[in-house]
Amino acid sequence: MAIDWRQYRCENFYDELCEAPGRPRAAALKLAEYLGSLSEPEMAERRLAAELAIKVMGISFTVYSEGKNVDRAWPFDIIPRIIPLSEWVKTEAGLKQRAYALNLFIQDLYNDQKIIKDGVFPADLLNESVNFRKQCVGVKPANGVWAHICGSDLVRDKDGTMYVLEDNLRVPSGVSYMVENRLVTKRVFPELFEATTILPVDDYPAQLYDTLAAISPRPLDQPNVVLLTPGIFNSAYFEHAYLAQQMGIELVEGTDLFVADDDCVYMRTIYGPRRVDVIYRRIDDLFLDPEAFNPESILGVPGLMRAWISGRVALANCPGAGVADDKVVYAFVPAMIKYYLGEDPIIPNVPSFLCMDPKQREYVIANLDKLVVKPANESGGYGMLIGPRSTAEEREKFRRLIEANPRNYMAQPTLALSTAPTMMEDNTVEPRHLDLRPFILSRGSVESTYVTTGGLTRVAMIRGSLVVNSSQGGGAKDTWIVDMDEAPTQSQSMGSMTQSQTLDGATPQDIAARGDD
Amino acid sequence: MLSRVASNIYWLGRYLQRAENTARLVNVNALLLLDLPRGIPFGWQPLVQIVGSDELYRSLYGEDYSESNVVRYLLLDQRNPGSIHSSLHAAREILRTVRDATPREVWEKLNDLHYYVIGQGEGALSRSRRGAFLQRVIDGTMLVYAVLSFNMSQDVGFQFLRIGTSLEQADMTTRILDVRSTSLLDPTGRAEQLAPLYNIQWMSVLRSLTAYQMYRRHVKARVNRTGVLRFLLQNREFPRSVTFCLSAVASTLPHLPEARSVERTLWRVRALVQDANVDKLVEEGLHELIDEIQLGLSDLHEALAEVFFKTPDI
Repeated sequence: MAIDWRQYRCENFYDELCEAPGRPRAAALKLAEYLGSLSEPEMAERRLAAELAIKVMGISFTVYSEGKNVDRAWPFDIIPRIIPLSEWVKTEAGLKQRAYALNLFIQDLYNDQKIIKDGVFPADLLNESVNFRKQCVGVKPANGVWAHICGSDLVRDKDGTMYVLEDNLRVPSGVSYMVENRLVTKRVFPELFEATTILPVDDYPAQLYDTLAAISPRPLDQPNVVLLTPGIFNSAYFEHAYLAQQMGIELVEGTDLFVADDDCVYMRTIYGPRRVDVIYRRIDDLFLDPEAFNPESILGVPGLMRAWISGRVALANCPGAGVADDKVVYAFVPAMIKYYLGEDPIIPNVPSFLCMDPKQREYVIANLDKLVVKPANESGGYGMLIGPRSTAEEREKFRRLIEANPRNYMAQPTLALSTAPTMMEDNTVEPRHLDLRPFILSRGSVESTYVTTGGLTRVAMIRGSLVVNSSQGGGAKDTWIVDMDEAPTQSQSMGSMTQSQTLDGATPQDIAARGDD
Repeated sequence: MLSRVASNIYWLGRYLQRAENTARLVNVNALLLLDLPRGIPFGWQPLVQIVGSDELYRSLYGEDYSESNVVRYLLLDQRNPGSIHSSLHAAREILRTVRDATPREVWEKLNDLHYYVIGQGEGALSRSRRGAFLQRVIDGTMLVYAVLSFNMSQDVGFQFLRIGTSLEQADMTTRILDVRSTSLLDPTGRAEQLAPLYNIQWMSVLRSLTAYQMYRRHVKARVNRTGVLRFLLQNREFPRSVTFCLSAVASTLPHLPEARSVERTLWRVRALVQDANVDKLVEEGLHELIDEIQLGLSDLHEALAEVFFKTPDI
């Protein structure tokens, strides 16, 4: 049986594709019609095709479980999520504004600290931040950019408002899956791309390369840009290899690099040592340089901080940029935008309660069953309390955690995250919750900032679940930014191939008759 | 090119070539056995000797060189680092680390083959399915190599791939010659009975290296010991002959940073192969010659590793 959209029960949440059962949104009309025209075996076939494509393309992520690293195929739902271009334009402007303000904030914190002196941002918060790096004080990276690559998570509430849920300024990952999801969709539903104007997403690696090349300390020469990975056992290794390959740069591990007496970074090549100008590092701050941070780290490069501080090498993101992606600092982003830019935030924050404030803490503790409580410095969805789904025991544990370290916790109302139709194992379609992670490349001004077309849509595959992280049962969807004003254009046909081998006047039959000896 | 990456690509070439050669070897041996009359003492042990891991084999299976054990050991046993399964696994792990330096289609093809081998599992061992399995491995590795040759820039990285495949092939060809020439049959035995089989065995040596047809074209003489030895050691045109493989290595050197020690070791082993007087070699002499060539190949590997794969700090 084909999908019957009238049976699609989406009325309890904002659904990305349907206004109500049986009523697809304008941007999703063609997709809904098309999917509705496919029989169940046809849908099943497409789903298998996607699974096969993912396996063959080797799109995987690594999960550490039971003491072993397991490479898992990327969980992917074939039904795309659609956002009309007219809405996306606003979101994009909001992300540029936000990333710009965040960079001004980091630069300020490590230099003049005006925002603290002006009483907008509390000094206590900074003092207790675990991501503030004293080693970075006084550093002024090129163009004032600290977080060159930012991944901000967007969610939509029941009324359709888009909020920023968090910003990832350290080593955000997922962008390769955004590009790969599109390739899979093209293999599975090629016909949809003819009928609809879907903006492309594959520009990202080129944009990233330009962003990185622009911060080289030797701007006149062809810069040597490398991607520093912790290695094959990292859960995002697939992405590291993918991006290096797409940008045509070397994928290096810590042992491939060394810092010489001239404070320059070199890589070990078959030609001998070769100088490195820009390092896109996908290693956390504390593992970057055993001389400056964790002396036990074998992933990093001894002396790397020295080289960076002396301006001999550029790092992206800069060490210390994570000070601004603390979930408590997050609550101050609207104030930062106002303070540095004199503007109102275009995309709102999710309302947040800071446990460091006694009144707000009281409220949080009294309402633990209704709120989502997050620690300041965890990522990947770990260490959270989702109030409405928690047990009394868990709530008690969090009450004690909060009281012991109020600075480290913030809470938000449980959002009724939006949904989108998602294919189940039995080939039926049900609504599942999702979010969106666009990636923002900062280059020193709002205008020069680049935002991906859409981003990575992550979907909680388990019914009712709000956890979208791939490490915890989340999957992904292709994200379409659809331009509804532009009519699709006809493609031009090419001339036919006319050359072929001539067989000296003999026909194949002649030759066959002659036989072989 | 990073030293680590150069080393990885070199090993990628070696593992791919190893998987392919092992598949051919098993295939040909199976066919050969069908041609031999019952009661002729010839079995599967030479295959284990060819891949040079008799010791490991004995520790795992003891003295039992049954067909099923040897085939399992060569095809699927993950405890054997040279099995087809292990070689493909190692090649895939390497490809994962050098994905940025190799075309993505290669990854897709190798991934596909790897899943095939895993998916077949024990089923691949039965006599009826083995042929198809081995053919798929041969096709798959050749496809990977073809994609590499046509879609990868023939830059320094590619040179290391060629060095890896060529060295592995030279190594495998000499191993096959060594073991097959000594342990095929005992020529002092019942001569009248063995005479007709003698040629079959040398033909199987050629077939293990897909050299039979080319041998016929080049040599234009019936298959015999001297002809086969000369062809597989010294022919300049056949891609699996030792001379051809060493020339292939030599042809990469102008594209690489200058490395005198590599050149020297290469010339030494090349001269050894080319100057050998194959007609005069008796059993003992052949074995010694091949030992020397094997040592030369091993020196060549060491020289490459020293110059290109280990870069010190300055």
